[in-house]
Order: sequence, then structure tokens, then C-alpha cells
Amino acid sequence: MHLINGPVTPGVISEIIAKGGENKECGAHSLFVGQVRRDQANGKFVRAIEYSAYEEMVITEADKIYKSILSEFDDVKTIEIIHSKGLVKAGEISLLVMVSAGHRDHASKACAKTVELIKEKLPIWKKEIFEDNSGQWIENE
Amino acid sequence: MDISVLFFGVLAEITGTSRKHYREIKSFGDLKQRIGNDFPEIVHYNFRIAVNNKIVNEDPLLRPDDEVAYLPPFAGG
Repeated sequence: MHLINGPVTPGVISEIIAKGGENKECGAHSLFVGQVRRDQANGKFVRAIEYSAYEEMVITEADKIYKSILSEFDDVKTIEIIHSKGLVKAGEISLLVMVSAGHRDHASKACAKTVELIKEKLPIWKKEIFEDNSGQWIENE
Repeated sequence: MDISVLFFGVLAEITGTSRKHYREIKSFGDLKQRIGNDFPEIVHYNFRIAVNNKIVNEDPLLRPDDEVAYLPPFAGG
């Protein structure tokens, strides 16, 4: 689990995919790429999201997510999670999850489950920043 | 005992701080009361409480130098 300042760049995503190649037992990598959406509220567009996190607890909770996924999906070999902190503009990437497994079935199911657990369990907060620089705190459903 | 309290998200915004140190705390109830006195508006918000990175559901037994965190609903991803 890595929290990085600002957006998850295409360069970082390439590095993670390249690193996946080191594990030659894997036949499938399933990726989830979360992007900041230019939502609209009260006639104003979202310019960016400001993320903040309880970093120590993010690490301990992410460790629990890893253990839970690895015990549920026995074909999964590795899980990578990279999440932004700080400001990420609309159209930029704020979350990357890559689950590597022997075969595609467990890779894709475990990736989807990992994303759900990230939203439910990780102490991360986001504030939408609008084009007029006003803000609005968001909660996951 | 001394207790560090962390505020996150909207709670850091309304309290105007992300960390506050409390001295001579007798119990968790005492701490909650002191925080409520310092930041009365906090009662209008939803939050859970963690002690040393673990969410607690009932009033925990605090130990000196514990870290207590006020956590608004999560919004990762």
C-alpha cells in the first residue's frame, strides 16, 4: 500500500505493470484505475479533489485487506494499491489497484473486491473543490 | 494522563486543528466531555473513534500517551 502526493501518473502505472512481470507464475493482472470525475453540483463543476488520510491506520487496514483477499482467492499472488493524497485534478488518476493471479477469474473478482474494501475500510477523506474554489466533503455510499 | 487527539476530514476543518494534546485525562468519558466543551459543533457530525489505529465501539480503557482519532465517514477511492 502506497500513499503518494498528487495524482497516480501513467509512469507509476507502467512501473507497477512492469513489476508484475517479475512474477512468472501469474497469467493475469487485473487493474482498477480510479479517476477524479468532473461532477457537477449546484451549477458548478468539480475542478479537483483534495484527499487526506490517517496514514498509519491506512497501512494497518490495507494489511488486513491483503490478508482477507489472499485467504478468499487462493489463486491470487500479489496485490498492489496506490492511492493519492493531496490535490488531484479532474481527469487525473487517484487510485490504482492491481491484482495478479494465476488465472483471470480470481484476478478480476479479487480486484473488484479489493476496491470495495478500500472504499469501506481505509481512513481516507475527500473534499471536492469546485471551479470557484468552494468545497464540499464527500462520503462513500 | 496525557492523550493525543487527531481530527480528520471535515472534523479537522470545523475544529481548526488536526491534532490536540489533552493533559490530566481521567477516562475516555472525561476526554469526550473535554472535546465536546472545546468543540461543541462536533455533535452535529457523524464520526467513529479509533484508539491507536483501531476503531472502538464501546468506551475503551485509555492508557497514558494513547492516540485517539476522530474519523468522519470514509471516502477513499
